[in-house]
Amino acid sequence: MTVAIVLLALLGSAWLLAVIEGWMTTGRLSPAAPLYSGLAHLGRESIVPRSPDRVFFEAAPVLLLVVAVLGMAVLPLAPDLIIADLGTGALFINAALAYVLVAVIMAGWGPDGAYAMIGGWRFLGQLIAYSMLIVMPITAVAMRAESLVNTAIVSSQAGLWNIVYQPLGFVLFFIAAMALAFRAPFDLPTAEGDLGGGVDAEYTGVRLAVLRLARLTLVVTLASATTVFYLGGWHGPLFPPWAWSLVKTLAVAVSMLLVGRYLPRIREADLMRWCWILGIPLALVNIIIVGLLILVVP
Amino acid sequence: MSSDLTINSTGARQKRPSLLQKLVSRALARNLSCLIVPGPEVALAHGLDIRAAGLRISTTPRDASVLMIVGDISEKMCDAVAVLYAQMPRPRAILLVGGQTPSTLPGADISSGLSQDQLTEAVGRLERAFADGAFVDSPEEFDSSVLHARIEYVCPMHPEVVEDEPGSCPKCGMDLVAREAGESTPDHEHHHDHEHHRHEHEHYHDQEQQSHHDHEHHHDHQHHHDHKHQHGESDDHSEHEHSGHDHGEHDHSGHDHEEHDHGGHDHGASGFMSMIEVTKDLPRSADGLQMDWLEVPFGPVFPGLPGGLKLTLTLDGDGVTEGQATSLVGMATEGEGSEESQESEGSQESEEMDADTFIEHLASAIPLAPVSYRLLACLAIEQAAGLSDDQATTQARNSALERERIASHLGWLAQSGRQLGFAWLTQRASTLQLKVRDAGRDRIAELEPELRTLGTRLERTPLLKSRLKGIGVLPVDSSDLRGPVARAAEDGGDAWARLWQRLDEIAASLELLKSGEEPELPVLRDIGNASGTGKATVDTPRGEARLSLKLEHGKVKSYKLDTACSHHIDLVPKLVEGQELGDALLAVGSLDLSPWEVIS
Repeated sequence: MTVAIVLLALLGSAWLLAVIEGWMTTGRLSPAAPLYSGLAHLGRESIVPRSPDRVFFEAAPVLLLVVAVLGMAVLPLAPDLIIADLGTGALFINAALAYVLVAVIMAGWGPDGAYAMIGGWRFLGQLIAYSMLIVMPITAVAMRAESLVNTAIVSSQAGLWNIVYQPLGFVLFFIAAMALAFRAPFDLPTAEGDLGGGVDAEYTGVRLAVLRLARLTLVVTLASATTVFYLGGWHGPLFPPWAWSLVKTLAVAVSMLLVGRYLPRIREADLMRWCWILGIPLALVNIIIVGLLILVVP
Repeated sequence: MSSDLTINSTGARQKRPSLLQKLVSRALARNLSCLIVPGPEVALAHGLDIRAAGLRISTTPRDASVLMIVGDISEKMCDAVAVLYAQMPRPRAILLVGGQTPSTLPGADISSGLSQDQLTEAVGRLERAFADGAFVDSPEEFDSSVLHARIEYVCPMHPEVVEDEPGSCPKCGMDLVAREAGESTPDHEHHHDHEHHRHEHEHYHDQEQQSHHDHEHHHDHQHHHDHKHQHGESDDHSEHEHSGHDHGEHDHSGHDHEEHDHGGHDHGASGFMSMIEVTKDLPRSADGLQMDWLEVPFGPVFPGLPGGLKLTLTLDGDGVTEGQATSLVGMATEGEGSEESQESEGSQESEEMDADTFIEHLASAIPLAPVSYRLLACLAIEQAAGLSDDQATTQARNSALERERIASHLGWLAQSGRQLGFAWLTQRASTLQLKVRDAGRDRIAELEPELRTLGTRLERTPLLKSRLKGIGVLPVDSSDLRGPVARAAEDGGDAWARLWQRLDEIAASLELLKSGEEPELPVLRDIGNASGTGKATVDTPRGEARLSLKLEHGKVKSYKLDTACSHHIDLVPKLVEGQELGDALLAVGSLDLSPWEVIS
């Protein structure tokens, strides 16, 4: 039952996100658009490139979807509404999301095309930039909660949300999450202007539909993680807990999509430089500040 | 609904009995996305608002169901267009907007004129065609000679040994290596690849596999070596063929940077693939790493580059070791009445051109700046005819020129937005371009605040400066720079400086328009039966263009045209060399090359 509800919430959020994304790009708010778009993908031919690495090519979109859903499995929508409240939930998210890299590189390698391949390898560089900025802010969050259990992390924010308690960590995590979801301005693996679609470029029809769904789901999962870690999860007045979770998650997801529209794509070298020279020291500072706060403030 | 609206049988999909089919067809009709050939900037320059007409603009053929061809396209582009069409997933359709069907394509599904109303109406028909005819009983294979390539077999050691059949070399006994005919080792043209997605030739499910595969699996070294592994040295190439593993040997024939073609053979027998062995014969990049170099084509239909421009980059990883640009839509810059063979867009039958025809010809050959070239032609002809300047006409013409400059720079901004993944900029700039391009003086005055805030917004955009600063710095000894590129050269000469130069020019043109006359398209004044020679220079949006021509009895006997872009395109190799791929493309983009204005 819980599984069904969470999956439904995930799918529903992805659908809403698709509607909003369509609204931003076409200026029309059409609730049925994602449905029609999905159907249209089913109607289109799903082309297999001439000499693909068939396993990689077929598995990549599915793997990406599985990763996103797995990540969601350990994130609570409400105190009881969680598929698996693991003792190492906050760690599990990291482990699951590491496979995004695998999926993207597979999607890059699989079709046997230069653009896709460069896109895939670019994402490897991107991982080197963002990965520490996913792990280190989560460390500070877990320090405050004194637990890696995601429900405990939410409970620890009952009085004060982490976005206020550790704003620096929030900013770093938000940016890193966008880089992980490879949304603009971090869309280096798919960069249309550089690579004509990159890792997405060779997918059509049903496979493309799965890939698009997977990418949207990944955004939702990451937004949900941001909500759980920084925005107090289900906490909020009046409305039921699950509603708060969903509203916050959607707000984060939409802001992730929105930011990209107003920014040019980042240079890969700049991303790497800023993440390591600026991001990691800041993440360390964040950990120190949180540590001091925990010691000083009872 | 009329049943005569269906799509071409080379574009439709196999019909299968399904309850969903009707629903899917309707969904398809509502989700039409188009790939624009030569590019969205051309559609914009013609004043077409694709989104308003009901189509989504797609950046890759894989994601497009409509191939939209704007205007007439050159012979050289025809091949590229056929490949694009072949890459689009069925059901797919061809929409011709104001042009002829390219020779390599089946007939157009829907044709329309070059106006917004006609386009909107055509899109309506297209939607009906998809709703009714996306699935047919017997779809046909789309086959074009462009999609075939003849394979020949050469000896890796003895380039003079070329056979039609696989086998071994009569001189050294080595296995012959397959390669595409016409792909000769010394030059870099082995890719024959006309546009960006053609790394492989996919066979469609409903298509027979082509007997002659072609192969651009040059990039796939790893594959190559793995492959050798499994088959061992004694591997027979004919077996290669049958098993469809065609991504072997011939890849390398193109990698002529060093003789590493046969290197892969050595370690075939061992079970372990050492990285050192794999890379030992590969070229060495600037950073000392040995890796495979890929020669990858970008364009002529590529989202980050102006349509018609083909950039061939040799990549090591995502760094560019060398690159060159060619125009596939370039116009003839010298026309001699008697020898018209140089004319790239359909040679003229007539020995000499009527003055008005000449003006139309020139203006239509350059869709990105038709007013400038119309003016140029008018000025040259009028000078040849000995007409003196008329103050009012000159002012009105100059206003039209300035208006086009604003519109053209906005078009460039939109194109930069596409390249940078900066959706807001593309949307804003293209909306403004559509408004400005045929606006009167009052209307432009109304738009002025919006145009000026564009600059303010860009100044405040985070990441933009760090993205553009120091990119595409022109070599110190660059000569023959013109227009914004030349004027920005004093200011650092990078992509950032060129952006601001163009924004400043928009502001300057606004001022000129304020004090000038109502813009008026240049129309040739009555020249009668005059003869003579004339010369004119116009500062087009991309720089100075010069035209000299010979007039005989009111007809243009011969002409010579010199444009900024044909000089700027020579900067490309220096600009891209040693750059990261994204930077290299930005550098090329910042030149605002119009492939139409390049000497062919």
